[in-house]
Amino acid sequence: MDVLWLGVLALLLIGYFALEGFDIGLGVLLPVLGRTQEDRDRIVAAMAPFVLANEVWLVAAAGVLAGAFPSLEERVTAEGYPAVVALLLSWILRDAGLWFRRRLDGRAWRAGWDRVICAASLGLALSWGMVSAALAGLPGSPIGLSGLVCGALLAALFAFHGRTFVSWRLPGRVTGAHRGTRALLVSACAAAAPAAVAVAASAPWLLRHAAPAETLSVLSLIILPFTPVMVGAQVWVWRTFGPRRGADRVPSFF
Amino acid sequence: MDVLDLARVQFAVTGSLHFLFVVLTLGLAPLVAIMHTRHTLTGDPVHERATRFWGQIYVINYALGILTGLVMEFQFGLNWSGLARYAGDVFGAPLAIETLVAFFLESTFLGLWIFGWRRLPRPLHLACIWLVTLTAYLSAFWVMAANAFLQNPAGAVERGGRLVLTDFGALVTNPTLTMALPHVIGAGLWAGGFTVMGASAYHLFRGTAERALFTGSLRLGVTTAFIGSLITVGFGYAQFGPISQLQPGKFGSPPAGIGLGLMIAIGQPLQLALMFLMMPALYWLPRWRWAQPLLMLMVPLPFLAALLGWLARETGRQPWLVYGRLTVAEALSPGLSPAAVAVSLTGFAGVLGLLAVVDYLLIARTVRQGPGAVTLGADDLALTGPDERAPALSH
Repeated sequence: MDVLWLGVLALLLIGYFALEGFDIGLGVLLPVLGRTQEDRDRIVAAMAPFVLANEVWLVAAAGVLAGAFPSLEERVTAEGYPAVVALLLSWILRDAGLWFRRRLDGRAWRAGWDRVICAASLGLALSWGMVSAALAGLPGSPIGLSGLVCGALLAALFAFHGRTFVSWRLPGRVTGAHRGTRALLVSACAAAAPAAVAVAASAPWLLRHAAPAETLSVLSLIILPFTPVMVGAQVWVWRTFGPRRGADRVPSFF
Repeated sequence: MDVLDLARVQFAVTGSLHFLFVVLTLGLAPLVAIMHTRHTLTGDPVHERATRFWGQIYVINYALGILTGLVMEFQFGLNWSGLARYAGDVFGAPLAIETLVAFFLESTFLGLWIFGWRRLPRPLHLACIWLVTLTAYLSAFWVMAANAFLQNPAGAVERGGRLVLTDFGALVTNPTLTMALPHVIGAGLWAGGFTVMGASAYHLFRGTAERALFTGSLRLGVTTAFIGSLITVGFGYAQFGPISQLQPGKFGSPPAGIGLGLMIAIGQPLQLALMFLMMPALYWLPRWRWAQPLLMLMVPLPFLAALLGWLARETGRQPWLVYGRLTVAEALSPGLSPAAVAVSLTGFAGVLGLLAVVDYLLIARTVRQGPGAVTLGADDLALTGPDERAPALSH
């Protein structure tokens, strides 16, 4: 049972990096790929229908931590307190930027929130680097050189993934490049690789610190029947908003 | 203030903000779903405009509900790791179920609903908003189940210094859950109903276009608030029985007692006004111009009452975090420095407070501009204004 829940945690974290990775990457690249306001609008519109379905993977992973691995939740937050606070602040500011940028007409309003999205996306990548450095026990973590190096590496991976995504969804429109589904899968694997390594490295520790069997049975009994619905909802998002369905035609809410 | 006070203030601020937005989410979701159903069944454009207008207000409000909720979820780990160490094997279960079964689906379906206008087949698009509503209520159930466990740790026994889950049935039939959940849901319907009522009264008072839309909305808002008020007040008084047995003296402390008293002082007269004044006048209310400023002024009252009720429930639990088992002081993460908590408190309270103000201003602006300016579900030609269309022409 504990192996099963370790698998669920791994899947959710890998899924988060593979999916939310391109949102963070496009946020970081927003001023680079989007020189004009119209270009930035197009980039945000390209990722907008996916953001809500992507970021919930981390919320779900945090839920699994709380339910099945409460000791790891304690370790992450104890060793990486400032990094987790930075992560949360970046996350809420990035999301606020997306929700708010089109709610007023003025150009200064939208351009201002676009700057917030870019800075907060960079903050997300850097704080993930700091959290990873703290968990790996690197010297000088969480706030220090090792964390910054990890963060910069993650930012570069996410940027590569974001660039591939936008060239897949709006081929030739933003980057001038055309990318197929296979290229997107490759960049998703690259973005998710750090999460896979981290879970694999901490698997023995996690298995020793899982919640007791009573709790895991209850979680399995209630949550596992819903997995087809959860998978189905995610597949539905990708089928609805894929590049063949006139990705650029409907005005975006974000 | 010491570390404990700072951590408590941090939880109180984020929790209160979260509750203010969530209570409206719970109230508006079914109303938007009902309007969307009418639109799908009749094809009447008035219902489409209503769905998109109230839907945009719902969605702007939802944004802050998520953002405050994220901070809440992670705060358990940051500041209160003693709770996970002592009761995590029990308390974590409803939270895990909430995130996976309810919130994961709610957010995914909401994305499909927001961005699915003019893309998804109509019946499937309608199904999305009903799934959003269903999962929002499931979410409320599991969060309240986790909170009820803190009020009355049912279904668990202590083994080796930790609580172990022994009876899942007792966890989900906890009397502090079964009485409080309808109370909270009723309060949500009340707040949602009053918001719809107040915004409709504003447009009718100003004599803007869309008279038919807002006449219908005002009546729907008052009716929803009336139903919500009956549920809230009924289950509110019904809670006193189990509470006096499980948490004797809960409302004895000044903050809890004053919170409870003020909540009743707001809620009880308002419920009577709904039952004996507003419901009988339902037919005429949209035409009585003199009454409309009053209806607008009433909007904040259910929110204020809900906040006071929440504060009474939580401060009445003090000094316990898990009632009778673990105190708040014992649950504080070990080794926290006052500086770390002060910095995170300033960050969270500052950022979330600012975003909450911006969010309410954006909701007020959406209300003021009316259905004509809504961007949710706008089609190709009706983008967001000339500002947006001019560059397209120059290509």
